[in-house]
Amino acid sequence: MNRSRILLNKAAWAIFTILFVILLNFFLFRVLPGDPARAGVRDPRLKAEAVEALRVRFGLDKPIINCFDSLNPIQIGDCGVNPLDTQFFIYVRNLLQGELGFSYHTNRPVAEVLAERLWNTVLLIGVGQILAIVLGMGFGIFAAWRARTSIDYVAVGTSLLLWSLPTFWLGILLLFWGSANGLPIAGKATPGMSSMPLLQQWGDIARHMFLPTLTYTIVFMGEYTLIMRSSLIDVLSEDYILTAKAKGLSAFQILKDHALKNAMLPLVTVIAINLGFTVAGAIQIESVFSWPGLGSAIFEAVVRRDYPILQGAFLLIAVAVILANFLADLTYSYLDPRVQAE
Amino acid sequence: MKRKFLYVFLLLALILSACGVGQSADAPAVVRIGWGASPDTLNPGNAILAVSYTIFELVYDSMYDLNLDGTFTLSIAESAEVSDDGTVWTFKIKDGLKWHDGQPLTAEDVAFTYNLYLNTPEYPYLNGYYTTYFDSIESTANNEVVLTLTEAIPNIESQLVFLYILPKHVWENVDKLEYENFEMMGSGPFKMAEYVQNEFVRLTANKEHFATPPKVDEVIFQTFDNQDALVQAIKTGQVDMITEMSNTAVANLKAEANVEVISGAPFSPGVTDIIFNQMLPENCPVDEGGLCTGHPALQDRNVRLAIAHATNKQQLIDVILLGLGTPGLTLIPDGLGVWYNDSLVDYEFDVAKANQILDDAGYADTNGDGVRETPDGSLPLTFRLNWPSDSIDTPRMAELLTDMWKQIGISLQPQAIDPDALTALCCPTFDFDIMIWGWVSDPDPSALLYVYTTDAIPYGSSETGYANPRYDELYNQQQVTLDFEARKEIVWEMQKIVHDDVVYVIPYYAQSVQAYRTDRFTGWITDQDKIELSDVSSLVLIEPVK
Repeated sequence: MNRSRILLNKAAWAIFTILFVILLNFFLFRVLPGDPARAGVRDPRLKAEAVEALRVRFGLDKPIINCFDSLNPIQIGDCGVNPLDTQFFIYVRNLLQGELGFSYHTNRPVAEVLAERLWNTVLLIGVGQILAIVLGMGFGIFAAWRARTSIDYVAVGTSLLLWSLPTFWLGILLLFWGSANGLPIAGKATPGMSSMPLLQQWGDIARHMFLPTLTYTIVFMGEYTLIMRSSLIDVLSEDYILTAKAKGLSAFQILKDHALKNAMLPLVTVIAINLGFTVAGAIQIESVFSWPGLGSAIFEAVVRRDYPILQGAFLLIAVAVILANFLADLTYSYLDPRVQAE
Repeated sequence: MKRKFLYVFLLLALILSACGVGQSADAPAVVRIGWGASPDTLNPGNAILAVSYTIFELVYDSMYDLNLDGTFTLSIAESAEVSDDGTVWTFKIKDGLKWHDGQPLTAEDVAFTYNLYLNTPEYPYLNGYYTTYFDSIESTANNEVVLTLTEAIPNIESQLVFLYILPKHVWENVDKLEYENFEMMGSGPFKMAEYVQNEFVRLTANKEHFATPPKVDEVIFQTFDNQDALVQAIKTGQVDMITEMSNTAVANLKAEANVEVISGAPFSPGVTDIIFNQMLPENCPVDEGGLCTGHPALQDRNVRLAIAHATNKQQLIDVILLGLGTPGLTLIPDGLGVWYNDSLVDYEFDVAKANQILDDAGYADTNGDGVRETPDGSLPLTFRLNWPSDSIDTPRMAELLTDMWKQIGISLQPQAIDPDALTALCCPTFDFDIMIWGWVSDPDPSALLYVYTTDAIPYGSSETGYANPRYDELYNQQQVTLDFEARKEIVWEMQKIVHDDVVYVIPYYAQSVQAYRTDRFTGWITDQDKIELSDVSSLVLIEPVK
């Protein structure tokens, strides 16, 4: 199979998976017991008409789906209903028009809320991942090169320790340390900074990012160090490395031209998986440092039965995971030409 | 290696902290408040969360102000007159009131606002509850608002207090449901400056306010998702006041210099209730989905009375709330002031007496397994005990109750359930035995008194299935009794009835705990019946410490 065929094939699968997620997303939340129109308002004062008005407004008065007997084995829905006037059809139609709907809880457009939160999450996790990758790779390479020396043992021991630290616990420790040293411990900017010059605003955001990013970096760095180290040790024991040494190449040349590229494969896999899932937000880090990211938005939406936010966020996560895996596939075939042949 | 890496971070930290904004001598007085919430929406009609109302109180004016002692005072009106039959109210609006943009606030705005709330059924509270008795609203050329009611009611103040006055010149041009109201044009003592959802609300002072111009320049509400961070923030001076904290943090924070911790009845008093499903099979609301699977023994007052005597409320308060609560009586909390019947005497904690009551009523442990059976011997007194899984305190209470009630031969099967699923089991399904849940009270008692009525059963507000014609009659009577003392008498008698019938066991009324830094601002109101430092009453009074 040639390269473009493989690409096409993978892209087709990616699109199919996203379509499946769109379907699953809709039904997943509606099987949950409970009623979003009442989830936020448990109050004896509320008249039945008020609850009904909310249901009509959110479109919850319409049937979820009309019945297709063959497709609908659990028999949700009502056979006598016009299929075009169901929650499911309206959901799909809106989605095709790029409409994600309005949040039940905040009455704001879902796309607007998610965009705000996504940017915050990408900022935090992007910087954290880059730092973790760079540092993790560096330590991993160093430890592998000095394998079975005391430096290696220290690196492995420390990495294992960091990797196994509970995220929220580390976060709380750093929060106490940071607040005692004058670092901000909540939010992503000081209120009122928006009228300041741009450079000061960025400095302010950087100060707010410091503690959550540090937590994130520490937690992921250990994992990357270990994977990089073990993978590189494997590669360094290969015959062609011996050959390279015999040719008289310097240690740096061996690493750069012969070993590293091959040793990168497992790390790329892990990074891709992590990247995809962390779009969901590092929920623990976000809640420790009150970082207004996607993770906390999802948590809140679950509590409030905010279906439109949940649907939008899950779609976003699914797309991110699928995209990250797709990119990982592409990177494989660049790093290791043998992958193409399969 | 690790060391070097830490140094890099420390260095970075130093550089970053150096970028901090310097404090100059004539810096504006900014009050920074930390809280664990964020408004759901700034559109008053759509809002549900109490924290949104905190912001509305600061930015808007309304016809009445609610004071911390539970009384009301006229705000934007200089006089209120009512017709002899009690159905027509005429409010003379003060002259010279202004919106934050300088436009005049007149009776026309008030009438526009009340009509907006009255004609928007999608507004859950402002339409669904507070305009229930509105018939029509008109403004006159004399800057008066004439409000005609469908019937005379005793509590016009509590109906109007949350109906915030909106500017006609803004709201007549917007979609009243989709309008997010980020600009929040108001007339109150504070102006909306900047709002980022889930991050902060920044308000600036309206020094030209007609009644209560603030002495500070700015108030910032910052959202904390994490209670430990909230406590840490006030300790280190990142905020000047916090509106909440976990009770476990109280002792620690009290030891802190420059921080004052206060506790008392919350602004919106809450009640925690132990609910007995006492729905009689013949009353089951089958048409509304009623299953009514409750244990028959709970329909017997003797069993409920024995449970009340076997419940050590002080221990519950000490263990669960670390002492920060008062023993409960009925759904009307002590925080409601005059409406709370403090003449009721609670069932004393007395296990022997509780056992005696059950023995006398014929509930004996015939098979010797430690659990009593019903008098006909058919069913053991084993009850399902459920509570919403998002409650932090309740698992501990369930554990304590299991031990306490074991002493009288009652066994419990405790299980936390997702709050939404629990609503589905609760009302009007009545598919449970005992539940632990709670309410937050309106300033007027009639909302929670309604929960005990027979009318509330099919609608799903009644949690117990309690039905008492005498109580229902009194409920309807207090709804139309205009004389304050007479109405109070009725409300007190209603509490006596439900207490005598042991409809619920109310373990406690939890107190609210707040803290402020003494080295930043002075003048916080802490000596009233209720405490709420983020209420407008405190925020317009406080001034910087010299």
